Amino acid sequence: MYKFIKQYAETIQGVDVYPIISLFIFLIFFIVLLVMVKKMGKERVEALSNLPLENDESTNSTL
Amino acid sequence: MQVEKFYYDNRTVKNFAFATILWGAVGMLAGLYIALELVFPQLNFTQYGSFGRLRPLHTNAVIFAFVGNGIFMGVYYSLQRLCKARMFSDTLSKIHFWGWQLIIVAAAVSLPLGLTQGAEYAELIWPIDVAITIIWVVFGWNMFGTIIKRREKHLYVAIWFYIATFVTVAVLHIVRSGQLPYSFLHSYSWYSGVQDALVQWWYGHNAVAFFLTTPYLGLMYYFLPKAANRPVYSYRLSIIHFWSLIFLYIWAGPHHLLYTALPNWAQSLGIVFSFMLIFPSWGGMINGLLTLRGAWDRVRDDVILKFMVVAVTAYGMATFEGPMLSLKSVSAISHYTDWIVAHVHVGALGWNGMLTFGVLYWLIPRIFKTELYSKKLASNHFWLATLGILFWAIPMYWAGIQQSLMWKQFTAAGQLKYTFLETVTYMKPFYALRSLGGTMYLTGVLIMFYNIYKTVKSGKLVANEEAEAAPMVKEYVKHAGDHWHRVIERKPIQFMLLSLVVILIGGLIELVPTFMIKSNVPTISSVKPYTPLELQGRDIYVREGCYVCHSQMIRPFRSETERYGEYSKAGEFIYDKPFQWGSKRTGPDLAREGTGNLKKSDGWHFRHFREPSSMSEGSVMPAYPFLIEQGIDTGSTAAKINAMRSLGVPYDKGYDKVANQELMMQANSVRLNLKIEGIEVPANREVIALIAYIQRLGKDISNSKTPTTNK
Repeated sequence: MYKFIKQYAETIQGVDVYPIISLFIFLIFFIVLLVMVKKMGKERVEALSNLPLENDESTNSTL
Repeated sequence: MQVEKFYYDNRTVKNFAFATILWGAVGMLAGLYIALELVFPQLNFTQYGSFGRLRPLHTNAVIFAFVGNGIFMGVYYSLQRLCKARMFSDTLSKIHFWGWQLIIVAAAVSLPLGLTQGAEYAELIWPIDVAITIIWVVFGWNMFGTIIKRREKHLYVAIWFYIATFVTVAVLHIVRSGQLPYSFLHSYSWYSGVQDALVQWWYGHNAVAFFLTTPYLGLMYYFLPKAANRPVYSYRLSIIHFWSLIFLYIWAGPHHLLYTALPNWAQSLGIVFSFMLIFPSWGGMINGLLTLRGAWDRVRDDVILKFMVVAVTAYGMATFEGPMLSLKSVSAISHYTDWIVAHVHVGALGWNGMLTFGVLYWLIPRIFKTELYSKKLASNHFWLATLGILFWAIPMYWAGIQQSLMWKQFTAAGQLKYTFLETVTYMKPFYALRSLGGTMYLTGVLIMFYNIYKTVKSGKLVANEEAEAAPMVKEYVKHAGDHWHRVIERKPIQFMLLSLVVILIGGLIELVPTFMIKSNVPTISSVKPYTPLELQGRDIYVREGCYVCHSQMIRPFRSETERYGEYSKAGEFIYDKPFQWGSKRTGPDLAREGTGNLKKSDGWHFRHFREPSSMSEGSVMPAYPFLIEQGIDTGSTAAKINAMRSLGVPYDKGYDKVANQELMMQANSVRLNLKIEGIEVPANREVIALIAYIQRLGKDISNSKTPTTNK
């Protein structure tokens, strides 16, 4: 059905490689991210997630 | 260690908070007015209030004025507290605030005047674009200054979202604003046709991503834990959420161009990344909702949490729907319909609106050291807003799908079952219901306005809020097992650069091939530049915002080729600056309006512009009687021709000198055609130029002797 659109793509040498490269870059990025997050220490994670709640007596909702 | 005493700046927070309420009401009022214009076309009684000019005003006001000020309100409040420091410079805060408001006022004046660049959400003319760039830099300077002089070592996840927002919006704005000015108020896009379309939707979708989403996710990660009084559910998940989201979002733009003349590989790229986006988006939504684990009983009585829960839920719904709409088979039905309009309003009214209201109700009593005036009124606001969203969205979903099916319906004999006009009249009751939903939502905002006014009256602004914290330790002891992320979490500039690299990878891979490789846009020899009269007519088409209701892009479906003629080819648009493919068909496609079965006489168009319902009964199009009164701006012709030539359009050297002569010759032939049909009008009127442009549409291809497949 989309022969006419495919024709554009065919005129670029090896255009299919673009999406593959993109996916590959993301995959590597994502795996590194996962490993890194996994390696984070529990205490540190807790300290970080408490940052907004620190030193603040006005935290409780007034409603 | 010595504890330092310092003061948070609440005045700027207050200013942005009041601005977001004010502009929110204005933007929504404009929205309601244009919604009513579709029900009662008589409301288009002046050119300054016609649908095509007010719709950009509505979208710009809601995105850049309402949400924009909402972002700055939240950032100025949370950044100071997360950094344990006052904003870097009070002067920069002032310039930022007043500069942004001036830009908004300039937009509110220029858009109704028809001053536009003709690209959705990037309509503002080039001098305003320059001002936006300056103020955006001021914002970034102030933000990074604060981050650098902070007293807290680590940057909380909300700040990452702010940094990514700053950096990406800067890149998007600069690339999209690539224009060649030919006068103080006017310019032509550097890009044309397919390339302009790709840049536009790379920009357009990432405006949604990095203006409406990432900064608000930052607000969610700060204000939701505050309101719920418990830390975010999973900090680890927030890291994954952040990096995957900004990585994936930047690729997703081409899903706005499925089945168009955009090269297929770019379409596929857009689909895959749009689909993957569901995972980080839902990760973020789940992270938000699970922050309330063990506190759900409080949602019952705490109206702020109610607002936030609906906001996060709407975020989840919209980000589920988005990837689905990006699938080709769904896009085939949804594109150009009100389904998309419903989708964006779930995001805007639900996610941005409800989160803004939640933050306002939380923040205003705190900086005014008082209690909220009325919890009951806030609760009324909540219910009006929630029901308003439903009344808004459900009729539009229903009607959008229904209209699309009607467009595609054939009779047993193989002919289109409905005329376009029949599908428009079918929509009217749904447009009316949508206006009701909008009225409810706006009423809620007005109630909030009153409630906050009373709250502010009962308290006093703590302009400088006292705080104390120990200064940041400069020397850093490296711990064993430290990894790169821990390091960049403390280094904002490196963090910004890394975010920049991440978003540039996507942008470059997506845009560069289309720009570099000529064969991406096959030329069609019969496609010629516009004549001077047609060019003037085209600029009137852009000025009147015709593209907000009419597409110029025929997709390769039998239902479209039967109705509009041959499907559109990339090569047809190489002289279109800006491209005018449109994104919505409130009216029919116009790509081949000047040819084949669609061709009408000049007189028909004249009468139609003067009073559309006289030619198409039940039409909701605005009338354009003023085009018959106003003269063509022939003083600009030479500058336009020269600008186009420097952008690569092959007008001969010296053509600018004779352009007006040719313009008048062609205008006279249109005038004579009209005279034959019994219409007397001088040749120098705008309507003549617009008719010439409309009659040109699609003609190049029909003039071509060779088959028009793109070899």
